[in-house]
Amino acid sequence: MTAALDVSGLVAGYDRTVVVRDLSLSVEAGKTAVVIGPNGHGKTTMLLAVSGLIKPMSGTITLGDERIDGSSAESIAGKGVVHIMQGDGLFADMTVEENLLMGAFVSSSWRGRRETLRRVYADLPVVESKRDQKARTLSGGERRLVGLGRGMMRPARVMLIDEPSLGLAPVAIEAVYAAIAKLRAESGATVVLVEENFTHIGGVADVVHILETGSIVRSGSFNELSNDRTVVETYLGSITDVTT
Amino acid sequence: MTDIVAIIVNGLVYGSIYGLVAIGMTLIYGTLRILDMSQGSMVMIGGYVGWWALATHGVNPLLALVLAFIVTFVVGTLTELVSVQPLIGRRGEVDFEMVTFITTFAVGILLTNVALQHFGPFQKNVPPIVSGNLDVYHGVSISYHELTMAGVSVLLMGALGLFLARTRWGFAVRAVAQDLDAARSLGVPVSRLYPATMGLASALAGVGGVFLGALYFASPTAGDLPLLQALIVVVLGGLGSLTGTLYAAYLVGLMQAFCEVEIGTTWTLPILYTAILIILVIRPYGLKGSPSEARL
Repeated sequence: MTAALDVSGLVAGYDRTVVVRDLSLSVEAGKTAVVIGPNGHGKTTMLLAVSGLIKPMSGTITLGDERIDGSSAESIAGKGVVHIMQGDGLFADMTVEENLLMGAFVSSSWRGRRETLRRVYADLPVVESKRDQKARTLSGGERRLVGLGRGMMRPARVMLIDEPSLGLAPVAIEAVYAAIAKLRAESGATVVLVEENFTHIGGVADVVHILETGSIVRSGSFNELSNDRTVVETYLGSITDVTT
Repeated sequence: MTDIVAIIVNGLVYGSIYGLVAIGMTLIYGTLRILDMSQGSMVMIGGYVGWWALATHGVNPLLALVLAFIVTFVVGTLTELVSVQPLIGRRGEVDFEMVTFITTFAVGILLTNVALQHFGPFQKNVPPIVSGNLDVYHGVSISYHELTMAGVSVLLMGALGLFLARTRWGFAVRAVAQDLDAARSLGVPVSRLYPATMGLASALAGVGGVFLGALYFASPTAGDLPLLQALIVVVLGGLGSLTGTLYAAYLVGLMQAFCEVEIGTTWTLPILYTAILIILVIRPYGLKGSPSEARL
């Protein structure tokens, strides 16, 4: 199996603060890798470096067989990396439909945008019902779904999803994860999904990686890691969510 | 009645040209978060293009406007590349808004001095785009030139509105204004979008400059007053708000016309600025700006 995305020896951060240190991660084509770790240990930073929103300080990032570290965010987007950002990254004063259309900004996707839009609406009826509302008027759960819908507006080779459950009520989290499952099934994309704990990822994770202080410290299947008491207690504090 | 018609007609004409010059500034502030102080020199350049095309070469007026648009688009783009682009990567380290305020101002001063060296300090007469007068109502008349100026301004502002509301690149400009990183992650080439946006804004001011040149003169400092007026309109409207800019432009235009007709020209500026002072003290974020920040 070839890796769709390969991160090797990545060091990244902001100004002089190093957050990600010597992180290596390889994701097989079509698989979903979930990276779990406490807040502030580099999950988001890793994703930002992959999509080119911050420049890696060192290390390599390879998409298929092409190096993308050091490329600009817009060219990485053009190569098929879709990044669904933490906090949604919606354009607050644009309507839901305009937000979705921006997802098809890359010129190869723009031509077929109407067709794609219909498909996304069919998958996410809630989003369609809000199509003419400004993004700023939506609830947190709706915003998250629009963000996912926007990610479905162009073909993804690799999709990066940053803490989709963050700050949402349990019902909304269910809806978001249902949408993610749909998105995986339809796009066949390789997914890197980041979460703080095991609670919601059982249905989507092919592989789980544990990230601590900037690098991957454990890898394994969901069952393997979520049943390992030391893992759960050391890195994630409470075990109660997982065993029930 | 005559007074009212005169106030409305003149107010709308003033408002349109204020709007055209100011709307570019708003566009730039909304997307790049900079107050582009080189906009005045774009008006000045537009005036000289008008003079060159109309007075010395007898070019078709429409062509002169197009020419002014193109020339100032190019100059505006270059201005961005020289005075803004090098600083974008260092947004975090510097007070971006303040530094670009000065760097664009520096470019404006340079352009003024280039004009001074090249054309000399003397004013050049720019012929009107269309000659003749239209009698609107019992002795209230308006020149066809001013009417065209208002018409073209409204047309261009409408076109800008449509561009932003309907087109792919218009979406991109708004997206960049609202969430830069999200826009980049969707594939918007910011390093090309910024210069183009500043070019577009400059081109609007350039077209305004051709009209203003014929109303006054083409001269090296012809852009100074329009710059100041645009700045006032932009701040009054609420920084970064396009609709606010339009309201403010027509409000200032109508206030100016009212003072000129009812009170006398010498009192126009004191009254106008008192009104602006009062409005801003009551609403510091302008007519349509939000207290936090306004985005396109």
